[in-house]
Amino acid sequence: MSLAEVRYDFRDRIVYAAVRGEIDMSNADELGEGLVEATPNEARGVVLDLAGVQYVDSRGIQLMYRLRASLRVRGQTLRIVVPAQSPVHNTLRLAGLDGEAGVVRTLEEALRSMNPDQSSGAQIEPSA
Amino acid sequence: MDEQMDRQGVGQVVLELDESISPALDQLRDLVKLSDPALSELGLEALLDELLVSVRGLLKVDTAAILLIDEEEQQLVARAAKGIEEEVEAGVRIPIGGGFAGRIARNRVAIFIPDVDHADILNPILREKGIRSLLGVPLIVEGDLIGVMHVGSLHPRQFDQRDLAVLHLAAARAAPAIERTRLLAVLEREHRIAVALQRSLLPRELGSFAGMTVAARYLPARDEVGGDWYDVIDVGEGRVGIVIGDVVGHGLAAATRMGQLRTALHAYAVEGHGPGRTLQLVDRFTGHLGASAMATAAYALVDAETGHVRLASAGHLPPVVIPSTGDPRLGEIRTVPPLGAFSYRHCPEVEFTMADGETLFFYTDGLIERPGIPLDVSMEELIRALRGAAGAEDACLLAMDRMLPLRGSRDDVAVIALHRTPLPERLDLELPAEPAALTLVRRTLSYWLRKHGIERELAAEIIVAACEACANAVEHAYGPERGSFEITAWLEDGAVAVEVIDHGRWRAPRGEDRGRGMTIVTAAMDEVRLLTDEQGTRILMRRRTQGR
Repeated sequence: MSLAEVRYDFRDRIVYAAVRGEIDMSNADELGEGLVEATPNEARGVVLDLAGVQYVDSRGIQLMYRLRASLRVRGQTLRIVVPAQSPVHNTLRLAGLDGEAGVVRTLEEALRSMNPDQSSGAQIEPSA
Repeated sequence: MDEQMDRQGVGQVVLELDESISPALDQLRDLVKLSDPALSELGLEALLDELLVSVRGLLKVDTAAILLIDEEEQQLVARAAKGIEEEVEAGVRIPIGGGFAGRIARNRVAIFIPDVDHADILNPILREKGIRSLLGVPLIVEGDLIGVMHVGSLHPRQFDQRDLAVLHLAAARAAPAIERTRLLAVLEREHRIAVALQRSLLPRELGSFAGMTVAARYLPARDEVGGDWYDVIDVGEGRVGIVIGDVVGHGLAAATRMGQLRTALHAYAVEGHGPGRTLQLVDRFTGHLGASAMATAAYALVDAETGHVRLASAGHLPPVVIPSTGDPRLGEIRTVPPLGAFSYRHCPEVEFTMADGETLFFYTDGLIERPGIPLDVSMEELIRALRGAAGAEDACLLAMDRMLPLRGSRDDVAVIALHRTPLPERLDLELPAEPAALTLVRRTLSYWLRKHGIERELAAEIIVAACEACANAVEHAYGPERGSFEITAWLEDGAVAVEVIDHGRWRAPRGEDRGRGMTIVTAAMDEVRLLTDEQGTRILMRRRTQGR
């Protein structure tokens, strides 16, 4: 059984990636590579939903930073969904990265910040 | 002898053996060894070779060949030849009914061809080789034709009744041996495939679970593979599923069916269905596999923390509960008919709680079934055998050692045991320095902290800190020679202490990323001490449990 699973959606040129499970040094790199690969060039950005993550360590945080850097090169933005009191939030807090830019509490907040002028819901296109 | 031969077509004579003639039987002594059971120990190729060499010697012929029937193609295929080895190399195939060998096969008679030039010969190799005369007989086992054996001479030769008798006797002796060897080869191949299949289907690793140890064994039957299986399923949230099952029947079919049922059960269980519901769903699935599918199975879902067990059984034998002291006993079950027997709407569960140090032992009937001994007698024997088993591994060992005959079992055997480890005052683990070990550290430490009443949020922070230290240890010990690291945790007055030791060389954290790990450790713990020398690195951490 794999430690973490990712479910992808591609909607309105935004990659939505929801991770469930645990992230540590055994799978962080693999997870990061998968996320970059799943993001097409025409995407505006990525919403990384970590609400379903039960555990994350410094390698998982490293993954977020690396992902943000690789996306930035392509002009794409990253929003990370970390609910308050969630395991990921606790690790971020311990690492002193609580108020880090790009980290939001909810999915709605993430989508709103990426689509400042969006008013209606777009159709969901299943990603390949 | 011409009077006794029917003329059939041009230049061809059908022979009938005159039973009254028993010629030169002393010459046939060599052939006796053809019926030697040791011959079937030889492979088919070696057997045929041996056979042709002695026939050629006895009859003083230039060529000898054996063609065996290919049932599917209704053809004869050259399998062995002496003097005309090309026949085999070229993979000569003769339709039944066509040519010399084909007619022997169809009519099941011996045929003598005095002059090949004037006969209907399909096989060009016989002509090219310059063979002038041919004599052939059918190979028959219990009324079934299995092939043709023929001999040839490079000079025109009148094969006589004595020659025919020798060839007939050789054929009669050889045919069963050939058939036996051929069947054996088929069975062996099937057995090999089945064993390989079964091995590939049984879980390679049983997984590690905090608070529990699991051990299992599978032993194939002496002669034939069966459909026994076991499985361990990490259902999540500290729950482990233990499965034992037994598909009715043997051989490749049973092994394949086992694979289907094991997969189905695993898939339903992992989806979070309880034992009763899981067996019910697998029963329905078994129904879809067809009438021949039937199996017994038991599924126990165990909560590591509480020891609570939910158990359902579809016609399977009851487990044995082994306490840490005292006599083992049979576990309670409420069983429904085997999977695939007839469908049922409801599969009941029994619930009980395993005490710390108790072991739950499941087995298939191959472990206890013995000819002439009632099942309850051998079950009693099993219960006695398991007395004093000190854990899962020990229980499997004792059962296999004491219950199975030395020569191996006639039926295949699967056993699986789950032991509830008593909660240690002091957690002490030595683990291989590899990333996968971190999962086990998290599970075990989480279980240990929770069982010692450490509040959830506090425990989460201690776990993050401990795992960061362990990740460092894994990194230090990384290299060509894989090392190990140790993690120890204990309770002090109002504090939890965790110590992580590795024997690698400490490398100062470099860059933002590496430094972050130590930031987390110091933020999560009240006291962190880093000791490093040529022996390795030791991180000692303390976290107060109240009044922080």
